[in-house]
Amino acid sequence: MSVGGPATNAGSLGDLQRAFQDYLLSGSDRLTASVHDTRKADRTTLLEVYRDGYALRLIEVLANDYPGVMAMAGPADFDYMARSYIAARPSRHPSVRWFGKDLADFLASTPPFDRSPAVAEMARFEWTLGDAFDSPDATPVGADALTALPSVAWETLSFTTLPSLHLLAFDFDVPRAWQRRDEQEPGNLAADRAEAPTSWVIWRPQLTSNFRSLAADEATMLAALMQECPFPELCECLAPSVGESGAVARAASLLRSWVEEGMIGSFRH
Amino acid sequence: MSSQVDFGLGLRPDHYEEIVANPGRVTWFEVLSENYMVPGGRPLQWLDTLRRDYPMAMHGVSLSIGSIDPLDRGYLDALKALTERIEPLWVSDHLCFTGLRGINMHDLLPLPYTEEALDHVAERVMRVQDHLGRRLVLENVSSYVTYAASELAEWDFIAGLAERADCEILLDVNNVYVSAFNHEFDAYAFLRAMPTKRVRQFHLAGHLHKGTHIIDTHDHPIIPDVWDLYAEAVRLFPDVPTMIERDANIPPYVDLLAELDTARDIALRVARGRAPKAAE
Repeated sequence: MSVGGPATNAGSLGDLQRAFQDYLLSGSDRLTASVHDTRKADRTTLLEVYRDGYALRLIEVLANDYPGVMAMAGPADFDYMARSYIAARPSRHPSVRWFGKDLADFLASTPPFDRSPAVAEMARFEWTLGDAFDSPDATPVGADALTALPSVAWETLSFTTLPSLHLLAFDFDVPRAWQRRDEQEPGNLAADRAEAPTSWVIWRPQLTSNFRSLAADEATMLAALMQECPFPELCECLAPSVGESGAVARAASLLRSWVEEGMIGSFRH
Repeated sequence: MSSQVDFGLGLRPDHYEEIVANPGRVTWFEVLSENYMVPGGRPLQWLDTLRRDYPMAMHGVSLSIGSIDPLDRGYLDALKALTERIEPLWVSDHLCFTGLRGINMHDLLPLPYTEEALDHVAERVMRVQDHLGRRLVLENVSSYVTYAASELAEWDFIAGLAERADCEILLDVNNVYVSAFNHEFDAYAFLRAMPTKRVRQFHLAGHLHKGTHIIDTHDHPIIPDVWDLYAEAVRLFPDVPTMIERDANIPPYVDLLAELDTARDIALRVARGRAPKAAE
């Protein structure tokens, strides 16, 4: 039977709830004296059902949200990482859907995990994919709407992207590693360091999320477009890479491809 | 049963396509409210698609009706918005607390069965009902510990709450069985203590038996003893809709349909047993 002595009935509703939460979060044993043993099991064993369930439930949530991180870390390291995250960032949202939101920041800023920056980048990539998955629905702009515009409109024309679109930069080739996440034993997945930091775009034109890498000038222009810079400024930001004379043609070409790929949500002039 | 909404299942993403491939095998679904509190994308598209063909009840896990934290206004607004999208048969959650100090433990933690807790929960239920503009349905949870502070039996607490707050009861038959084993009370007496007109829905599920205690895992088929308890529930509370919960180790949809047929058979057998008495 429990070493906590007989249960006592002291404690208001608030006292008991605080003691229960403290037990789950920090192992505080204040609750033990307030609950009963049974004839079959001591209260320590019974309380552990809650403590084990709390951790295992959230570890499972993280494993579902981060299969690429699991493939890189392996089950044992993933379990340690997840328990550290659970302790550091308890859930403050009604849905477990959002529990893993801070994992990439946590891994990037917390020893010893900060020694594996590729894993933090994988976490950022996977969270952003998940974000695109259930982001607000929107219908991409079609090419016809833009070709119908009078030429004067292009002097002030600006755009917004779909709500699901995110622009990311990685030092490691985590998106391609993510595509191989099921091919190797968990723990053996590695992401190679890219020759140079590479920009990636993630977006969901209909119901299926897409991602692809971006050339450096394409990433520059997309970042400017997301700031709602007018089309002439989008052209200007390309000048350093393609020259003044080629900037308009390059900007038009990139814009056409983004429209065809369903990245552009709206425009105004 | 005469009601069109009789035997249902929990709507799970694993089964979306199988549901479309096996139309009409259930008369309703229960959806987990929080799973659809998202801005858009495939989850809401599936929800809208299936809602066109099936009535749905909403079942939440984060209302935290017993918590000493203030009610989460943002959560209640999201819940109400979802009721406007789904137009549910009813809205349920659990008689428990899920956290405090702004932290969600994502577990159904037991309340002490005290007059203080009863006053607290009843007042909150009434405020939630006012906000949603409908009655709330609350489920008895499985529990693994009991508090020394408890002054009431769980069944008296639930019955008292239903009357005082004018809410309804989601009677989880498996949870009654689990808690009865864990705390050594009479599961059948629990059922008999429920106010007949307040029981709005039954839950059925499997569990994990650890020898000294049972854990409510929803990852196994329903065991014979729970089916027997269900038969008594159906006898006591006729025409109450039934659904099976499965949240882990999820089998193919058709396997759950077969398990639901067992519930149908039991309800039919109980109804036939009742019929001659009614004719006397």
